[in-house]
Amino acid sequence: MSAVVEELVSGGVRLAVPLLLASSGELLSERAGVLNLSVEGMMLTGAFAGATGALASGNAGVGVLAALAAGLLFAALQALLSVVLRADQIVTGITANVLALGATTYGSRVFFGDGAADSVPGFDPIPVPGLHSVPVLGPALFEQTALGYAAFAVAAVLALGFSRRTSWGLAVDAIGEDATTADRCGLPVRAVRFAAVLLTGAVSGLAGAQLALSEVHAFSDNITGGIGYLAVVAVIAGRWRAWPTLVACLFFGVAQSLQFAAPALGLHLSAPLLTTLPYVIALLAVSGLVGRSRAPSGLTVPFLRGA
Amino acid sequence: MNTAAPALEISGLTKSFGTTRALEEVDLVVESGTVHCVLGENGAGKSTLCHVVGGSVAPDAGGLRLYGSPYAPRRPADALAAGIAMVHQHFSLVPTLTVGENMRLLRLRDLPRRVARVREEYGLELDLDARVSELPVGVRQRTEIVKALLREPRLLVLDEPTGVLGPAGTDALLATCRRIAESGHAVVLVTHKLGEVARAGDAATVLRGGRVSGGGPLAELPPERLVPLMIGRPAGSLDAGLAGTIGLAADGDSPEAGASGSGKTRAGGPEPAGRALAVGTAEPGGRAEPGGKAAARVTQALRLRDVSVRRADGTSALDEVSLDVGYGEIVGIAGVEGNGQSELMALLGGSLAPVAGRVELDGRDLTRAAPRERSRAGLGVVPEDRLHEGCVPQLRVADNLFLGRLDRFRRHGVLLDRRAMDRAADSVLTGHGIRADGPGALMSSLSGGNQQKVVLARELALDPLICLAAAQPTRGLDIGAVGAVHSRIRDAAAAGTGVLVVSSELSELLVLCDRITVAYRGKLLGPVDPAEPDARERIGALMLGARASRPGPENTGHTPEALR
Repeated sequence: MSAVVEELVSGGVRLAVPLLLASSGELLSERAGVLNLSVEGMMLTGAFAGATGALASGNAGVGVLAALAAGLLFAALQALLSVVLRADQIVTGITANVLALGATTYGSRVFFGDGAADSVPGFDPIPVPGLHSVPVLGPALFEQTALGYAAFAVAAVLALGFSRRTSWGLAVDAIGEDATTADRCGLPVRAVRFAAVLLTGAVSGLAGAQLALSEVHAFSDNITGGIGYLAVVAVIAGRWRAWPTLVACLFFGVAQSLQFAAPALGLHLSAPLLTTLPYVIALLAVSGLVGRSRAPSGLTVPFLRGA
Repeated sequence: MNTAAPALEISGLTKSFGTTRALEEVDLVVESGTVHCVLGENGAGKSTLCHVVGGSVAPDAGGLRLYGSPYAPRRPADALAAGIAMVHQHFSLVPTLTVGENMRLLRLRDLPRRVARVREEYGLELDLDARVSELPVGVRQRTEIVKALLREPRLLVLDEPTGVLGPAGTDALLATCRRIAESGHAVVLVTHKLGEVARAGDAATVLRGGRVSGGGPLAELPPERLVPLMIGRPAGSLDAGLAGTIGLAADGDSPEAGASGSGKTRAGGPEPAGRALAVGTAEPGGRAEPGGKAAARVTQALRLRDVSVRRADGTSALDEVSLDVGYGEIVGIAGVEGNGQSELMALLGGSLAPVAGRVELDGRDLTRAAPRERSRAGLGVVPEDRLHEGCVPQLRVADNLFLGRLDRFRRHGVLLDRRAMDRAADSVLTGHGIRADGPGALMSSLSGGNQQKVVLARELALDPLICLAAAQPTRGLDIGAVGAVHSRIRDAAAAGTGVLVVSSELSELLVLCDRITVAYRGKLLGPVDPAEPDARERIGALMLGARASRPGPENTGHTPEALR
């Protein structure tokens, strides 16, 4: 049984890493008042660009850079639509996701022929000497790939650098709660929102690279399969605060790994049914939190001076 | 229905929120066919009382009887079904719908007939096709009242209804109250303005700190007796500004009764001349001539030249308006709401660009400057809607105070020195007499008056502060807060800041300002020297666009007397 628990925890943390990356960006973006539903599309684009870059150059590092660039570009489009042109954030987000799915599926036909790229150069786990042999936590935390460790660092920097105890974090909250007041106080509302979306794009691109280059070393159609949406849900479940969002990410990670551990636990469900499990759990978790959370007042409200 | 029984009878009503006793053993009897005023300062329990009657708050103890029968509403729908209509301070209108659509939401039968009846009976006119979001606050209020009347209620409860109305609107509303009472129904008028009470009420109950501090027929309760009941100290101790805002001197019936012996002096400043103040106490010798001295200087603190502003729908909101505010001068803008005042404030705040004209601060062109350039240049703006434009309710008080100046509190790069911030905030809280649970309290936990003081404190802390523009600076504040806000404004002017005050409270402008102009259909009329004995009448006439000496609807056709 303990082997199952260990597998569940270490698998959960591994699966939580891309979630954590994307959520840490999404959290910032939502606190600034922009709902980025397009995290899913950003991740998918990042995964595709990462796989293509790594495969073309034979170097996983180049793949990571490609994923970053793709995520940023995708985010720039989203920011242009939702921040500058003040388009509806939900509509643009969903549309962007559909666009990303179509474009990457088409792209993989063009680049990988049959729609899947196997044996992409990727990252291998680097166990931290000593620490990785700690029971349960060791394999979970200290047997990550370089990208995984980088993800922890990025998430930590974002959470701490933009906490409400920093001037940046406070400015972000003011802009997300009440853009008009923030503007009157001289805070650069649009610039901050634009930057927050770009940042979400960058970390989501990284999250995509994590999926394609650390997890499986391969790209397949719709490799994200809704993880980007889970990242958005994690922010909601985390009630727009950093630590609870981290907990939500880990929880959803474990929920995902449950599908792999199910046979060992004696759960014999069909595979497609098992893949829906994390989403069912996410739904239950979020509905249990209804009424206890409060979104930033300015979430999804575009800012226009004098409007 | 037993017509001999009182319309509403409240006995032993008690309600606590946590450790705070909002209402304690409150007894109240509202006879049918009367207007019953409930008086009290902010926090006296007036709103809680309304909520209990309206069914949105359940009392801890005590009972209610409505026209003789026991009445224990468990939800607002019960109150409606019992024939009680409520008009709250906060509007319950869907802003994106039209007035007519909002009324249709009530799902009443024969709506057109009811609308026609309300129009006929109470003279309340409304444009059913106007979108609520585009209406000035005063008209929204009227819509709210019409909505309540459409249900043909037996008891109408109005919670601070005149806070957003100009004098004409207030007159109309009070007349409406009287008409409702005369038709045999009852009205509960919750207010803190004594002038209204004297004019429209039959009886009053005064609340202080959640308890009934007194009450009875108004024939036996002149304002001089009501004031001590409300605030716990005699009326004579009030300064003219305070007396003005609670309506002691407000309503022209007996001007000399209110502003008894009140005067104000300014300590120093570029224009130290004492002004003759308040209504009816003018002494020609003491009158200041603000225009003359200020004009001698090359620049003005604030100068508007031929400024025109259009609304979103293309109609003209400000029409070639020119206005000067000298250094150390307090200029008031009176007028019924919706005559361009909101647009003027938006223009000054930088959220609305003019189609023509020029805005100068201290001789510097700010016509198209962004808000942050304006505050840097020294233009402080206290917006009318302090909750939506003035502060971020979800942040701490200290954060709100220093939102524009976070750089001052950086430590190790990006970390905020919260301790230094809180210390600085603490001294602001003390200095401005802001009652908050420390600098770390959430802005939303403060009372309206204290929120206003925070916004004002933030704008007054601008360095330099050339001009302060404040809209409705004391709306909805209790007497203590009004006094504090007024003295802050006077201090700023004494230090040489030009001050522009937009207010629908004429009494406030009369005691505060050196010069009053009147907004009327996008023009500024006047100016009127508040020290003139007939200033109130002249301003009243200008509000209706006339030059006549006495206000009245018959004057509306006269030619406006434009300023410059």
